[in-house]
Amino acid sequence: MSRWIKFLIAIVTGLALGLLYGWLVSPVEYVDTSPDTLRADYQLDYVLMVAETYHAEQDLDLAARRLAMLGSESPAEIVAGALKNAILFGLPEDDRLLIQNLGAALLNWQPDSGGSLP
Amino acid sequence: MSKEWNPSRRSWLAENLYLLTGLLIGLGLGLLYAWVISPVKYVDTSPASLRADFKDGYRAIIASAYLVSGNIERAQSRLALLGDPDPVQALVNQAQQARSQGDPNNSAYALSMLAEALQQPPTIPPTLTPIPPTQTPEIIVTPSETGSPTPTSLVMTPIRTPSRTPTPILPPTPRPSRTPTPTPGAPFLLVDQQVVCNPAYPEALLQIEVADANGDPVPGMRLTVTWQGGSDTFYTGLKPDLGAGYADFEMTPGLIYSLQLGRGGSTLVGLSTPTCQDEGGEYWGGLYLYFEQP
Repeated sequence: MSRWIKFLIAIVTGLALGLLYGWLVSPVEYVDTSPDTLRADYQLDYVLMVAETYHAEQDLDLAARRLAMLGSESPAEIVAGALKNAILFGLPEDDRLLIQNLGAALLNWQPDSGGSLP
Repeated sequence: MSKEWNPSRRSWLAENLYLLTGLLIGLGLGLLYAWVISPVKYVDTSPASLRADFKDGYRAIIASAYLVSGNIERAQSRLALLGDPDPVQALVNQAQQARSQGDPNNSAYALSMLAEALQQPPTIPPTLTPIPPTQTPEIIVTPSETGSPTPTSLVMTPIRTPSRTPTPILPPTPRPSRTPTPTPGAPFLLVDQQVVCNPAYPEALLQIEVADANGDPVPGMRLTVTWQGGSDTFYTGLKPDLGAGYADFEMTPGLIYSLQLGRGGSTLVGLSTPTCQDEGGEYWGGLYLYFEQP
């Protein structure tokens, strides 16, 4: 066996050892994540909660600030995405309607001076 | 016994040093790929992995949603996603922390209410339904002679069909100076809840009727309404012309109320003024609640 082949085998072995360490010995632990990394169904449920509270509070600025936790997209885009998932996941009609109402209200919403996030 | 210099071992190491070099290069490439070229991206995570402050925000919105919907089962399953060892304690701690900081986000009340509800055995929730969303106009379309559909009318489709005619409205119940005696017996359950949309009625009126197991009105039932920053107590039967078991209360639109029957009795949470709509636009509707002993 030539030296070059042995050299390549050593590299591959090192690569394998690195991956073994990273994936099995000390795998990544997800801690301190942000809401925008949540799985789609969890994000949908979050939007639903915002829609439920908006329905009672009628505070669009507060709803928008709460939605901002889910990423840098505009609140209306976040709700539109959630509405698509609501159909995909078969959310009950009443819940879908709540999200739809929030999305419709956000279409003409203009951000105010901002505030703290509950 | 001393180690002797072994020229053959030295030559073996020298000859195979390239293998160690290859191993290190491979390791370096693996880390370069994992850390620089394709670093870990957190996707599809669960709420349990959220940073502590985001968890607090998530918990607060769960409590706020519960306050609106009154759905304790849903709130419980949502809280379970956060993976708190003791969800009630987590709610209490967060509420206390919020209060100690002046409650800048107005979340302490909702957190406390949810913590309290989780500690109580379920009484009303099976019959409690959230206030339905705003009614959606349903367009009835009839085909015209040319074949193109023409909208002919807009019909408001009520989401909940009232099965009981709400009692006619009079001004709110005056506050009593003495405490009448309620009928003893089993706890009262909410058996009917309606949104009252009638522009002829006063806005935001909470109407309550209480009956015993035979369906007879119960006078003198103590009713306590609580909202963020206040509470009020009144009694049934102070408007005999509307029924011995009748009482009402004027709500403020935008506030969330809880209603307790008797002292330490069943508590109904998440009551708020519904929005109604007709040709004249939106207006505040009322709520009608009917309680009965099982």
